[in-house]
Amino acid sequence: MARAGARLAAMSLALSMATLLVAHTSPSAARTSQGTAARAPRTEKSIVRLGATQSMDSMNPFLAVRVVSTSIHRWMYGYLTVPDSKTLKPSPDLTESWETSPDKLTWTFTMRAGATWSDGRPVTAQDAAWTFNKIMTDDGAKTANGPAVENFDTVTAPDDRTLVITTKKPQASMLELPIPIMPKHVWESVPDIGTYQNETYPAVGSGPYIAVEHRKNGYVRLKANPSYWRGAPGIDELHVIFYENPEAAIAGLKKGDIDWIGRLAGPQFGALTGDPNITQWNTQGRRAGYLQFNPGAATAGGEPIGDGHPALKDVRVRRAIHHAIDKKTLVEQVQNGLAVPADGSIIPPMYQEFFWKAEGDKAVTFDLEEANRILDEAGYAKGADGIRTMPDGGRKLEMRFSIHTDEPVEDKLAQFLTGWLKEIGIQLTTRRLDSNKFTEETGSTALYDIAISGWSVNPDPEEVLATHLCSRRPTASGQGGGTESFFCDKEFERLYQAQLAELDRAARVKLIKQMQERLYTEAPVVALYYPNNLEGYRKDRIASITPIPEDNGILYGGSGYWPVYSLRAVERAATPAGSGSGIGTAVAVAAAVVLVLGAGIILLRRRRASADDRE
Amino acid sequence: MRDDTGEGVARRAVARYALVKLGGALLSIGLVIVATFFLFRLIPGDPTIAYTRDVPVTPEQLALLRRQMGLDRPLGAQFLDFVGRTLRLDLGTSYEYRRPVAGLIGERVGPTLLLVGTGLAVAVGLGMWQGTRAAWHHGGRFDRLSTGTALTLWSVPTFWLGLLLLMVLAAGIGPIPGLFPTRGMQDVDAPDGPLYLLHVAHHLVLPCLTLVAVVYAQYLLVMRSSLLDEIGQDYVTTARAKGLRDDAVRRRHAVPNALLPTVTLVFMQIGFVVGGAVSVEFVYSWPGLGLLFVEAIRGPDYAVMQGTFMLVCVAVIVMNTLADVVYHVLDPRVRSA
Repeated sequence: MARAGARLAAMSLALSMATLLVAHTSPSAARTSQGTAARAPRTEKSIVRLGATQSMDSMNPFLAVRVVSTSIHRWMYGYLTVPDSKTLKPSPDLTESWETSPDKLTWTFTMRAGATWSDGRPVTAQDAAWTFNKIMTDDGAKTANGPAVENFDTVTAPDDRTLVITTKKPQASMLELPIPIMPKHVWESVPDIGTYQNETYPAVGSGPYIAVEHRKNGYVRLKANPSYWRGAPGIDELHVIFYENPEAAIAGLKKGDIDWIGRLAGPQFGALTGDPNITQWNTQGRRAGYLQFNPGAATAGGEPIGDGHPALKDVRVRRAIHHAIDKKTLVEQVQNGLAVPADGSIIPPMYQEFFWKAEGDKAVTFDLEEANRILDEAGYAKGADGIRTMPDGGRKLEMRFSIHTDEPVEDKLAQFLTGWLKEIGIQLTTRRLDSNKFTEETGSTALYDIAISGWSVNPDPEEVLATHLCSRRPTASGQGGGTESFFCDKEFERLYQAQLAELDRAARVKLIKQMQERLYTEAPVVALYYPNNLEGYRKDRIASITPIPEDNGILYGGSGYWPVYSLRAVERAATPAGSGSGIGTAVAVAAAVVLVLGAGIILLRRRRASADDRE
Repeated sequence: MRDDTGEGVARRAVARYALVKLGGALLSIGLVIVATFFLFRLIPGDPTIAYTRDVPVTPEQLALLRRQMGLDRPLGAQFLDFVGRTLRLDLGTSYEYRRPVAGLIGERVGPTLLLVGTGLAVAVGLGMWQGTRAAWHHGGRFDRLSTGTALTLWSVPTFWLGLLLLMVLAAGIGPIPGLFPTRGMQDVDAPDGPLYLLHVAHHLVLPCLTLVAVVYAQYLLVMRSSLLDEIGQDYVTTARAKGLRDDAVRRRHAVPNALLPTVTLVFMQIGFVVGGAVSVEFVYSWPGLGLLFVEAIRGPDYAVMQGTFMLVCVAVIVMNTLADVVYHVLDPRVRSA
């Protein structure tokens, strides 16, 4: 190598090494003295390592919205209630019991006796009252869960065990609050919640695990909380390791760099097939995939907007299209069989209690003849080219189907739909949009006819139902309000308000089923399938794990802490097998030495090479 | 004496040249700031809607968000505000992380510099060495083989190559065990002290290898072609005629002159390589700027996108200017021109 080149290389290497040292000593390392001191040899600890394809947006629960963050916060902090591990119904967590006043506006919770923070202080009603009041009064603290307390009037703690919440209107979803209770004595001195990072370790919490280290874009290290009120979890440590690239995460699972990964897409899940060490977890999911039609979009004030096809204002056309969709084929061909055909609306069957199933003559089946019959009767005559026209003989039934550019699965779906709709005289053209444009056109400007969409449903379905309310339509100035369909239906609104105020669970379930039926028959959206929840974990590392709900549920990304609380690791021998990190390092070092030596020898030989080497 | 004054004149000329270049660079940076503002306003859609996708928010919260982001103010005021803040190195606040963008970028610069620095050092060394050998024996087997390999690697998509190396060398395939980590710069139980350097180096191998594979070809080709130019020159013939060893002719006479374009290229490429590390960082979850940018696009997190975009632009401009000036200093022919 040329001498100047060598010098340059040496300089760059020195620069790299300097950078490395700087990086190592930077504050982002956030290593606590305890974190390093408490490092016992690995073999004595049982550790489970979960891979996540997102990193933390914030360790501050008032700000965090990503699934990985809210999951970790559910393991670090207690809530008023937690979904029951079998039925998903609200069950006591940091509260032992609750009652409501006859006018349904006052909730009185009795806090759990004996629950403590990880620093030893008792968890009291003051903590809960401080948390809710902070969100109600501080704009910065509203970031993650503002809407959940919007209907709150006052929150007080008359004594350490009693929490009283009064609401402006009855609130049935009170027992499903997605808000972790924070330790007042730690947090009340925070000057600005809206910018606070909460990166002090070990964190003070009341959940089954305590966060002891967070390396941004690297991992979060959690330790079992020995003073957890239910008793400490069965493993010593839980590491959540961030992979930006899902393929790498699959490679990491197969190799043993991680023990468990959730929320997989079909192809990634397929890549785990045939690995003797890996359990493939394929259960019903919490998501619904659906089509949304432009039903004659309007603003919240009722001003028509957008350029949707006028035929879609006619509920008969929307129903005919529903008849023209073969959901079973879509599941097999588009979802590789890893989904359930939708025989209901937007709440998936995983939520047994709330799920509404279309039965008998209500069920819309795949029936092209029936679809054609409906359209013929409604006066949409077929032209010579096989495409129908509006009853007034004007516009043809040529519609756009909006999908995302980066989703090959949606392309496939578009091909099937185009074929079926052609059979009933509707011409479909696919529009591929980047996600910003897609969100804008299908959520605020309404420049679409038919679009693909989907939603992950929480144990309380109120949130997903609310996305079809009149008030969710955009304002006159075009600012969206989060509508998923531009639907605005008096009956649906009435049912929504009624379930909001219905504190009797059975009666409320009935109302929510009626809402789904309304969505099904009015068809502003048509559910296609419920994608399965796909996960994988290593049998040689995880001895047992209980999903939520227990019979056939989710391991990662559900609500509550049951799966990670129930985790049991496989007892391991003194030498860690499979990780290969020690061996790998040794091999890498050896390889480096060989390389350097080899390069040195070559250089020396070349120095000695004489002129007669020339070709 | 006359030499001295000549030297002085030359030095002044270089200084003047450097000043002109610096002015040009500052102007370019100014243009980048202006362009960034308008470029990111051209993105369709209301950013607040994009941010709050899939998160329940109330209309009041949306209004507050618009206020916080200054979107409720006239465009002119927004622009002046943006320029003023950028000049004070305040790049705004990330929506996703709820933190100042400058701080986020600061955290990520280290890992990227480590990856790109090491990668460049290896790529430059490898490219120059192979380029020199290929040119010296041009048309030979080594020339054909090395140039062919480099060009092939250069045309392979970074993402694909990275994934391939990850599958084979990190995950292990068939009888080959996984030798390298599948992600990141360090594991949970990273050792302390000198062992930590080794630990990080172990993590660095594959990302670095991928980066080197896709960029070293340009150094090889430039070195090769500029050395080929030199080989034909009279002074090389003279040196050979003097009976100097082939090795000495190459290392003392031809290579130093051929280095000029390569050194310039190295400088010019630094800025681009920072941008080019995006795919590599994504494949290996390397916690650098590239990853930050990918995440920002996915968010979308406009403030972070703007910040990283401007940083890469400024890096390219600064490095280009440096390359110009260095070339000017190194090459007397340019100076006299």
